[in-house]
Amino acid sequence: MLEFLVLTTVFCGFLGILWQNNLINKVIAMDAMSSGVVAYFVLMAARRGVFVPIANDTSTRAYADPVPQAIILTAIVIGFSIQALMLVCVMKLAKDHPTLECTEIESAQK
Amino acid sequence: MMNTLTISCLILPFISGFIIFLLPRLDRYLSVITAICSGLYSLFVLVTRTQINLKLIDTFGVTLSVDEQSGYFMLTNALITLAVICYCWSTDKSAFFYGQLMILHASINACFVSTDFINLYVALEVSGIAAALLIAYPRSDRSIWIALRYLFVSNVCMLLYLIGAVLAYKSALTFSFSSINTAPPEALALIFMGLLTKGGLFLSGLWLPLTHAESEVAVSALLSGIVVKAGLFPLLRCGLLLEQINPVIRFFGVGTAVFGVCYAIFAQDTKRLLAFSTISQLGFILSAPQVGGFYALTHGLVKSCLFILAGALPSRSFGELARQPISHQLWSAILLAGFSISGFPLLSGFGAKVLTMKNLLPWQNWVMNLVAVGTAIAFAKFVFLPHHSVPQKLPLGFWVAVGILLGGLLVANVAYLEAYNLENMLKAIAIVFAGWSIYYLIFSQFSLNLPRKLESFEHLMGMMILVAIVLFWVAVNDYGF
Repeated sequence: MLEFLVLTTVFCGFLGILWQNNLINKVIAMDAMSSGVVAYFVLMAARRGVFVPIANDTSTRAYADPVPQAIILTAIVIGFSIQALMLVCVMKLAKDHPTLECTEIESAQK
Repeated sequence: MMNTLTISCLILPFISGFIIFLLPRLDRYLSVITAICSGLYSLFVLVTRTQINLKLIDTFGVTLSVDEQSGYFMLTNALITLAVICYCWSTDKSAFFYGQLMILHASINACFVSTDFINLYVALEVSGIAAALLIAYPRSDRSIWIALRYLFVSNVCMLLYLIGAVLAYKSALTFSFSSINTAPPEALALIFMGLLTKGGLFLSGLWLPLTHAESEVAVSALLSGIVVKAGLFPLLRCGLLLEQINPVIRFFGVGTAVFGVCYAIFAQDTKRLLAFSTISQLGFILSAPQVGGFYALTHGLVKSCLFILAGALPSRSFGELARQPISHQLWSAILLAGFSISGFPLLSGFGAKVLTMKNLLPWQNWVMNLVAVGTAIAFAKFVFLPHHSVPQKLPLGFWVAVGILLGGLLVANVAYLEAYNLENMLKAIAIVFAGWSIYYLIFSQFSLNLPRKLESFEHLMGMMILVAIVLFWVAVNDYGF
């Protein structure tokens, strides 16, 4: 069930990128998509358990897998910086294309 | 000793990139030194045929591997970076440009040594950001839009790739390339779709022509010469690691080559022709993964050279160029590069083509020979440009850059001297002359504008999903996987 919801988030984000004409909306949709991917990694890490893996003598608990969690941190940072860079690009484009409509900008550049 | 050398050569461009931001006056000198260092390192790897496998920290640590293939790719990277720096030497590019150039250089080298999906992801994303910043360097609306479009495409495909990577991890409990052995079909589809899109291959590579054609000359040379190969290299490595993947990679290689060359033949614009030819040449590299490294070297050098030369032409449209003769020197340089890319015996494009053709499977052979004729047809447009003896004033840096690239092509012949026998040479000459005659008799008589509808933003996104569905279908039905 949770997996379904997370993948739906990714899918909705993708549809947003496709169908929204406004560039800001597109960037936000991409953010939703990357949040979905992050959630999917966290979900995958919690398949066998949710406890923090700390080495001790009584290691019988169901621990969460630390590898995907550690890795997705990097992806979050990268996603955040790309997001920031894209918003700067959108800001610059807004000066000459105040409506920020993708179709309008695309036809102006042809 | 070798391990320390490898790690320092990989880190050096990052460090010099950051130093350039701190000490902007050193920009050109530092970047030249760095490019030369990585060039020497990759030459060393190639000459001594070293194979280095590095494992940093423990089981979950980063693994790196340097072999002959990565040596070729790193050498391409170093030579192109060096040529681009020389080309930009006399222009007023700021330290920011050189800093980003170094970071791009470093991240692409990192792609060429990584052996796990996450390391590769980080390297690809860093190269994507650095490339987007270089594309947007002129700060015009057009360049910013192209950079934004590039960022969108690369980020969306990398997000889908990440889902594929975690699915592969779920079944194998490791992120290394070998995890695709046990990966479910959806993981394979997503990972390969991400890499195909990032590498500008097949239908998902339709973002490439506009991006490469509209960027500045130096940036186009970088993008076409080396940046797309960062997405292509992992495909080659996976194809070599796993026998089951090999036929699929070959199939996509042939598809890409045919698709690119069809567009290239009808292109009316010099830079678009070069961009489409990049797509078709990437297909050549993929269609014979075991010898892809040498082809990638020759293609990278010749394509950057052609982009730099095309930047010196008085116009971008072939129609205009037919009325404005260019100088003999420029024309001869274009002719040499055109010879190499069409596989004419002299420069190492010939050796690379012979080697690739030799390693093709029987069903690929006739298609790729047709594609080779198609390449000759497309480049006949450059060869038949009118020229006269009035010299054109071009900066020294331009000729140094062209010299490095063409010289590199000439020297690279030593990697495969066995290609020079009578049969191969006659075949290559026949292909080139067939292409030129077909161009002269048929294609020069009319012009056809292919629609650009598929290159619009929405279609790029949709095409990614279509390619993913095709890959999924291939994986589920077990055709080759």
